[in-house]
Amino acid sequence: MIHLKYVLKEIVTEKKDIFLSVLFGYLAGMTAIVLFGASGYLVSKAALAPPLYTLAFLIAGVKLMGFFRALSRYGERYFSHRATFTMLSNIRASFFQKLEPLAPRIFQKYRSGDLLARIVGDVESLQNFFLRVLYPPILLILVFLSTIFFVVFYSWWIAVLLFIGLILTGLIIPAWFTIRQKKMESRIREARAELSTEATELLYGFLDLKIYQKLKGKEAQLTNASEAYIFEQELEGKTAMFNHAINSMASFTVSWLVLTVGAFLVTEGQLDGVFLAMLVMISLTMFENATPMAVLPDHLEDNRRAAERLYSVVEESEAETGSSSSKKIPNKQALAIEFEKVSYTFPEERHPAIQDVSFHLPAGSKTAIVGPSGSGKSTLLQLLLGISDPDKGEIYVGDSEIIHISKEDLWSKTNVVLQENHFFYGTIRENLLIADNSLTDETMNSVLNKVELQQFSLDDQVLEKAENFSGGEKQRLAIARAMLKGERLWLLDEPASSIDALTEKYIYAHLLHQAQNDTLVLISHRLTGLEKMDQIIIMEQGKMIEAGTYKELMDKKSYFYHMKQIEKDVLM
Amino acid sequence: MTDLKAIAKQQKIERVMLAIIAVLTGTMVIGQAYLFVSVVDSIFLQGLSFSDVLPSLAGLLVVMIVRAALTYWSGRTGVKMAAKVKADFRRSLLRKFTRNPIQASFKGQSGQKVSVMLDAVDEIDSYFSQYVPQVIQSSIVPLMIIGTAFYFHTPTGVIMLITAPFIPVFMAIIGMKTKDKSEEKMEEMAAFSGKFLDILQGLTTLKLFGEAGRQQEKIRTSSIRFRDATMEVLKLAFVSSLTLEFISMLSIGIIALEVGLRLIVFENISFFTAFFVLVLAPEFYTALKDLGSAFHTGRGSMGAADKITKELEEKENTVEWGEQDFSMSEPPSISLKDISFRYQENGFSLEDITVELPANQQIAVVGRSGSGKTTLLYLIAGLIPPEKGRIKVEDKHLYDYVEAAWFQQLSYISQHPYLFAGTIADNIAIGVEKEVTRTDVERAAEQAGISGLLHSLEQGLDTAIGEAGRGLSGGEMQRVALARAFLKNPSIILFDEPTTGLDLETERILQHSIEELAKNSTVITVAHRLHTIKNADKILFLDKGRLIAQGSHQELLINTPAYREMVTAQQGGGA
Repeated sequence: MIHLKYVLKEIVTEKKDIFLSVLFGYLAGMTAIVLFGASGYLVSKAALAPPLYTLAFLIAGVKLMGFFRALSRYGERYFSHRATFTMLSNIRASFFQKLEPLAPRIFQKYRSGDLLARIVGDVESLQNFFLRVLYPPILLILVFLSTIFFVVFYSWWIAVLLFIGLILTGLIIPAWFTIRQKKMESRIREARAELSTEATELLYGFLDLKIYQKLKGKEAQLTNASEAYIFEQELEGKTAMFNHAINSMASFTVSWLVLTVGAFLVTEGQLDGVFLAMLVMISLTMFENATPMAVLPDHLEDNRRAAERLYSVVEESEAETGSSSSKKIPNKQALAIEFEKVSYTFPEERHPAIQDVSFHLPAGSKTAIVGPSGSGKSTLLQLLLGISDPDKGEIYVGDSEIIHISKEDLWSKTNVVLQENHFFYGTIRENLLIADNSLTDETMNSVLNKVELQQFSLDDQVLEKAENFSGGEKQRLAIARAMLKGERLWLLDEPASSIDALTEKYIYAHLLHQAQNDTLVLISHRLTGLEKMDQIIIMEQGKMIEAGTYKELMDKKSYFYHMKQIEKDVLM
Repeated sequence: MTDLKAIAKQQKIERVMLAIIAVLTGTMVIGQAYLFVSVVDSIFLQGLSFSDVLPSLAGLLVVMIVRAALTYWSGRTGVKMAAKVKADFRRSLLRKFTRNPIQASFKGQSGQKVSVMLDAVDEIDSYFSQYVPQVIQSSIVPLMIIGTAFYFHTPTGVIMLITAPFIPVFMAIIGMKTKDKSEEKMEEMAAFSGKFLDILQGLTTLKLFGEAGRQQEKIRTSSIRFRDATMEVLKLAFVSSLTLEFISMLSIGIIALEVGLRLIVFENISFFTAFFVLVLAPEFYTALKDLGSAFHTGRGSMGAADKITKELEEKENTVEWGEQDFSMSEPPSISLKDISFRYQENGFSLEDITVELPANQQIAVVGRSGSGKTTLLYLIAGLIPPEKGRIKVEDKHLYDYVEAAWFQQLSYISQHPYLFAGTIADNIAIGVEKEVTRTDVERAAEQAGISGLLHSLEQGLDTAIGEAGRGLSGGEMQRVALARAFLKNPSIILFDEPTTGLDLETERILQHSIEELAKNSTVITVAHRLHTIKNADKILFLDKGRLIAQGSHQELLINTPAYREMVTAQQGGGA
């Protein structure tokens, strides 16, 4: 239940619409009762041959009521649905807003198809929370109490009967359904999420599924998931139908009792026979408001689960991002970087990824970090970006220790190229504008030239995950994006690993030219072209084993020199 | 198959059942009115005693309860029909998605496709659970009521007959747009899903560019657009029911007026008849109004069905594979003749590739980035069919073989292998049909050079990777894929060689292992390592989608200046 309070909070913001829908709903409910009651009275009265004008007056009144009812019903529906769907839209947006700080860690816990199911399906099901859970009881009580108050003037007995009907359909039957519902343990939300998750994996992993001929198996798995989901839906549908039937039987029975008791009272002379038809008509109409109570327990349970699934994901966000580091680093300034005895071990790993690493990168210097894969190069970068915090030691960017710097601020002032860079479905232009929204086509085109992508136009389509670009092209796009960002700190993780050496050389020349006064860190697996670097740091098994300029290292004929010799033989 | 009407027609048994339910319901509706009116009449006008009306009262209770039970039965039948149809639709979509060729699978956003498969299919539900039962109900019950009205009081029957058609007419006029509007709604919903999933994947990138805020705005806008599209559909529904309400109100008014005048002024009708038709009239119009709202949801479902149809009808040039068995004990030879392929109009293309790839040889594909190396591998793998030319494996066309048999003999290690959510062991064993033991998996992992990684992980082979698991670096992912190949032991290996630096020990293990693998297979590698290139029996040198040279390393060094230039640059020498 706790999670539904978030939903409640969202509903409350739509006060005005909610007030209007209750108002119109009440009017519609009451006018309907008056309408049918009056017509029952009318026909009975007519049988007694009264003067014509009274009838004419009554008929006109009834017609007016009819129009009024139809309009109120429209108003009720319009406002209640507008409130509901505005609320859903807000929930989606705020869910994403809370989800965003959790990246990238969230992906180690949830699968993207599952998250999609939550933000689409679970949110969608919350539309029932106002429409079918909160609203019907409010209306039911208002309409019933008003009607019973009116009926008291004609017969106490019948008023009491109607009140019993209210308790029965509004309280006892829903309570019974709640207990039944609890026992059934509907898995509809989970079944939907599973289908969504597996469908997403089918689409993302399509190539590998095809190569390994697992598409048939996946298809079977998805068919099962779909059938399980449909089974749950069917069960839910049947339960709803059953509940409806029970509820209307109860309502019918109460109306029948009204007729029976009324008939008895008339024969006993305690009730004027002219009111008999009216009271029964009122009863029948009034119970229409009790119909939604039949499915309330189902929806409540469903919404409770949906809210739980939704908010349990982002609740952790509030817990995890508790530490607020708000310091900012100076604008447009090349900064020095300092590592002091930094160690870091990944969770669930035995050995430290980084051990006791210290180095100093002066402002405006160019540094290359080299070493075999798994030596901790990328981890250094992660630490430098504040994605992970060191277990031991300190990292300084400029004058501030990194744990005190606002990550958003740090990232906004860094040009980053990662090993894997994401591109969005859209055009090249849209993907480059991410760097800076105010870029002109001219600037973007000139940078595309610099990264040797002049054959592409800014309007060229980028498919999902840039599947229509080769590995090297993607890397060049990522470099272009970083160059366009134009900040003074560069962090590049193997930015050109899939680019052939000729192109790489050309791009690096542009890159170093643009970054000539900036601080730059380049992680590289290739040892060529490092002559221009101010410093080369060599990592192995999480430790820094050497550092120096190209010339120093080559002259020392140390580890770097040997690596260089081997590379000549191995790589091209 | 996506015409909902046609599908509904096929469900004969259910339709007959629904018709029976409708006839029974009609009887109950009329019986309820009759008994109710007769009780009131007996008590109120004829002044009978309470015990005289007891049988009628008892009958009334039974009729009411049976009516509720019938509603349940009808609803249940609808729910069952809907479940069956939804399952069929989803199965066709699945079949379509799993049979798509590779290049089609890249098109569009995955989130959109997921949305079609989930939301659009769900939207069809109401056509069968509400619309179809209601249509049957509404075409039987009002007829029975009209008949009764004619029998008891002809003028009422006439009024009903004249006014009734207005309801379906207005319903159709207003509901006309519903289908398009609800298709728009599905569209917005799919767009939202597509955007969300894409942004989710790129969240890290967005954060690094300080762009998360703007994307949040995008999500918000997309979400609001979806709300607006939903409201459009709903507004139509509300207007439709408002109009129908007005029509039925007017009609009931006319009936009441006619009956009232006769009752009071002309005094040529009994109270019983007058009250009876007045109770029946609302039932008559309610049945028609319900058809109106059901019609609306039905049109909504049709919009969703159209969306699904569009997805299903998207023509893809899928290739038909043949019947020829492919069980090679020896690695096969492959030959390409005049192969051309183009991704889309004016897109990148490979042109006129003709080459012989002898059995059991090692072939290296080299070229600058964007020269078409990966596309060539796709073509050879049978993942994309060539537009022109033919590929022969041994003496038969590639596509004459049984698809499964071909892929069973093939391993493809792509640049970015997809890791499925599961353990490392699961991911390694994915490519193999036969039973594998834990030891087999361990050995494959060792051969692929990931035992170092496994040792450093607390849970070793059982570490969860892929989505909702531990992230692996690009090089690590490739080595997991390589382990898949070791386990499978195929006769053809296509290998998009990793470019990230490996440590020397791993390099040595890999080199040795790949040589082992190559003993029994034809290996085609997009090569970056000089070692692979030098050892290759044949090198294919690609440039801008054309095969400009082929031969051994030495031959190309001598004869092809562009190749020589590339090699020297790569080795860091001044070209």
